[in-house]
Amino acid sequence: MTRPRTPAARLRTAVPALVVVALLAVILAKGDYRANFFSGGGFALGALIAAIALGVVVTYRGSGVVNLAGAAVAMYAAYVYADLRAHGDLFLPPLPNPLAPIEGLVHLAGDDGFSVPHWPTSVSFGAAMGFWPALVLALVFCALFGLVLHVAVFRPLRHAPVLAKVVASVGVLLFLQAVVVRRFSTTTQVVGPLPFVDKTQVDLGLFKITQEQLFVVCLVLVLAVALWALFQRSRFGLAVRAAAENEKGATVLGFSADRLAAATWVLSTVVTGLLGIFVASVNSSVDPNTMPALIVPAVTAALVGGFTSFGWTTLAAFGLGMQVSLVTFLGANESWFPKAGGLPVPGVDLLVPLVVIVAVLALRGQSLPTRGVLGPGRLPFSPTARPWALRYGGPGLAVVALIPGVFFLSPAMRDGLTNTLTGIVICLSIVVLTGFIGQISLAQTSFAGLSAYTVASLSTHHGWPFPLPILAGAAVAVVAGVLVALPALRVRGVHLAIATLAFAVAVDKVVFANSWINGGFDGATVTTPALIRSQDTATHHILGVTIGDGTQPNPLTLVFCLVVVVALGYLVANLRRSLTGRQMLAIRSNERAAAAAGVNVAAVKVLAFGVSAFIAGVGGAVIAYRTGNVTPDKFLYDKSLMFFAFAYLGGIASVSGAVTGGLLVGGGLGFTVLNRVFGLPDEFVLLLGGLGLVVTAVLNPEGVAGKARTDLLALQRRFRPPTLADPPTLADPPTPADPPTPADVATPTTGPVASTEPTASTEPTASTEPATTVPPAASVPPAASTPVAAATPAASGSPAGSRVSGSAGAAPAVAGEAR
Amino acid sequence: MSELLRTESMSVVYGGLHAVNGLDLRVDEGRLVGLIGPNGAGKTSFIDGISGFTRTQGAIHFRGKRVDREPAHRRARLGLGRTWQSLELFEDLTVRENLQVGAERQTVGGFLLDLVRPGRRRDQSDVDWALDVLGIAHLADRLPTEISHGQRKLVGAGRTLAARPALICMDEPAAGLDTTESEQFGRRLRRIVEAGVSILLVDHDMGLVMGVCDEVYVIEFGTKIAHGTPAQVVADERVRAAYLGTKAGI
Repeated sequence: MTRPRTPAARLRTAVPALVVVALLAVILAKGDYRANFFSGGGFALGALIAAIALGVVVTYRGSGVVNLAGAAVAMYAAYVYADLRAHGDLFLPPLPNPLAPIEGLVHLAGDDGFSVPHWPTSVSFGAAMGFWPALVLALVFCALFGLVLHVAVFRPLRHAPVLAKVVASVGVLLFLQAVVVRRFSTTTQVVGPLPFVDKTQVDLGLFKITQEQLFVVCLVLVLAVALWALFQRSRFGLAVRAAAENEKGATVLGFSADRLAAATWVLSTVVTGLLGIFVASVNSSVDPNTMPALIVPAVTAALVGGFTSFGWTTLAAFGLGMQVSLVTFLGANESWFPKAGGLPVPGVDLLVPLVVIVAVLALRGQSLPTRGVLGPGRLPFSPTARPWALRYGGPGLAVVALIPGVFFLSPAMRDGLTNTLTGIVICLSIVVLTGFIGQISLAQTSFAGLSAYTVASLSTHHGWPFPLPILAGAAVAVVAGVLVALPALRVRGVHLAIATLAFAVAVDKVVFANSWINGGFDGATVTTPALIRSQDTATHHILGVTIGDGTQPNPLTLVFCLVVVVALGYLVANLRRSLTGRQMLAIRSNERAAAAAGVNVAAVKVLAFGVSAFIAGVGGAVIAYRTGNVTPDKFLYDKSLMFFAFAYLGGIASVSGAVTGGLLVGGGLGFTVLNRVFGLPDEFVLLLGGLGLVVTAVLNPEGVAGKARTDLLALQRRFRPPTLADPPTLADPPTPADPPTPADVATPTTGPVASTEPTASTEPTASTEPATTVPPAASVPPAASTPVAAATPAASGSPAGSRVSGSAGAAPAVAGEAR
Repeated sequence: MSELLRTESMSVVYGGLHAVNGLDLRVDEGRLVGLIGPNGAGKTSFIDGISGFTRTQGAIHFRGKRVDREPAHRRARLGLGRTWQSLELFEDLTVRENLQVGAERQTVGGFLLDLVRPGRRRDQSDVDWALDVLGIAHLADRLPTEISHGQRKLVGAGRTLAARPALICMDEPAAGLDTTESEQFGRRLRRIVEAGVSILLVDHDMGLVMGVCDEVYVIEFGTKIAHGTPAQVVADERVRAAYLGTKAGI
């Protein structure tokens, strides 16, 4: 794909290139900068990022999916390998046992000794394994896993909206993490060293590097070249490229697009897994969180490579890996480095990918791959709230949640219900942004967290009285939301998702991990009024009714959350019914057409981000007041991913969908029921969440609420006689105000026009006269010109006159006769 | 008669390709002006250029104001409407809502009021008028996916019309219509012009263009090769050679 180079395009390539060259020059010029940039650790990290990024590019080219679970695959492979090396066990994902509910019910009935058969949790190969068998077995496992991902998840989704694919890959990510946490807990696992290289330093002149680091780097470079050769020089690569253009292209070449996609999935999981294993060996450890988070720099690198170029992707990945140790060095040693509370601001290395993403997206604008990426794809239908829903929905929800919540539910269930309510708020914020206007944000809990910390600070340190900090927190969130909206003016779809994800990861470290802001180990305290303080155990007597049973959580906390949910629910429902809502849906449906209809697309997008961040901010403030202290873990990027996924599953385009999503969220009512009633352990609940996400995304790409609506409509159709009673628009008889156009007259060339004219009664004079006087061969000019020529001179009069003559002149004979 | 739209040596350049090359065109109030040319002549690029969807060189004057640096939505609000070759309806909105997006203008106060009273009565007269002129009032509560292709075309025109523009640029509105539908459509175009809206009509349907237009521009390779009444244009040698070709000689 060669594009004509305009001067502006050259400038857009030259400027970032110059910036990169200048930065490199500075780094090379200063000895200690150079030593920290070209460090063994930096190279090893870069190699891992590169491998994940290469896997992402391969998958994208093969199946058009931006696989956010790519880095989690590396982590999972490392765990599989480590367990084989250490114990000779191949652990299996703990799949849901269909018999488990029976066991849960029996246990509920009191028979705790009852047990049903379970899936095997691992296959034992006896003693600890050697390097090669463990590696081969782990890679075979990776290959099979890639195949399963293709067959079970992404093949069924190949025609689904891009959003459904994003959700599915988030589901895979959460699932893999949950499996590992379930089996090995969150603690770090020790991984044995590679047998053929060790930690001996190798002096390469410019810098020193250990043998094993050098090995990993060389391996990635070889893989990158091999992948390039495979895609550019082989028939397989040609077919994949053809299939990316269109499926028929590959079929013509004798390849099945489906098998090509499967092959690329296997290829990417094996490449990613291999490097995951090696880098874990080099680092001697693996844990469930570090590697999956590398998806952000990896996707950034893939973005630099335009999701196609292996060379640029690898280069960018190394750059992003190597800057980490340099930034750490700068923070420790340079006085100009930004400080917070005397310490260097944490997470600046995570701001680098964000800056790169924003720069790439802003500079390249539309030149990025178009295949399924540029828009969110067809989104689920967004229904307008029916009048009955508006009238009874809010009060109904309030009553259904309020009475049991205040008087009947056990403390654990009250907690679950409150989690559901706060979850609904976050889901509502996603409904506005993704459901209404089609923008993807994976940073909603970052907005919530920013607001929560604002509330903590204002309520505790500045003595602001109760409701005011909520508004201030929401205002801070709105500012952040508007900032994130700026890239959204240039990019859309998965690219926007990536940019917001990078924002979320950066906020996690720069703000939430900043001890200056987060209140250190204990978190930031929120001064909550006693009435709604969750820990408050007092009972209240209001109008003769006793509220509270002397246990935590305080039922009035739940009432507070409920009030907010109902208010925001109405806000969102009203937004959908309003002109702004119509404009948002118009933009979601078609930005160009919306602009042509006079909609200020940029302004409405910024507005939507603002409203969405406002709702998320209120949600964060409610979470802050509800818990009484703010800890970062509630607002980290993976929580944003989870909320996005659950909001999508619930139904991303309606308030009812947000409510459904709130029921599904981790810690919410649904999970509390599973946990308390069916006795599923917590980790299992998360695992089921991830798996449920994938399954639901595959089965209902429109979300649960969307599916329910479609089913309902289908049911209605079945019981309603087909209505073909529309007045046929195109057959209404001509009236004096609607005379036949001269097109009728031009019978000879336009042939069927006159003959298909249903109302021939007034026609004879018009249609026969020219046809008889003019020979067919030369019929067009005179036939067409007669009336129009008559119209033209008359049209030179007043505007009114021209209009009258326009219609009269159009068919003088008919018009004359009709009058 | 007064001038509505005038382009002065307007060009649209994609890379090295001049899709439109120094075109002068003028549409006066109350006129139905046709723009025809072979495939790839630059017709759609011209409409994209004047409506603000692609960068242009040269001047574009609309209602006496120079608009060639205005963003698309502002040109639409000035009264320069357009329709799309490939429908591009808002699939998630009903027909009436589609038209409302075109007709209504939002203000900050309106937005805030919307959050409290979204269902308040709004002036629907423009929407009703557009539905009526195009004869699609009975479809108002349907979704675009539920109606026929010809009806969808009318909705696309209606969305533009509901904004009460001074000029509508129609990009191949009759493509895909059968001859009866096309002829019916021609009559509706005249009714629109009678209502005081000028039309710039781009279409391949020669019967339609030659039948309803007051004047016609013919372009080829981005440049104007003829301009005049349909009669004059059809008689033009260059037009016959370039576009009508042997067809006119049958």
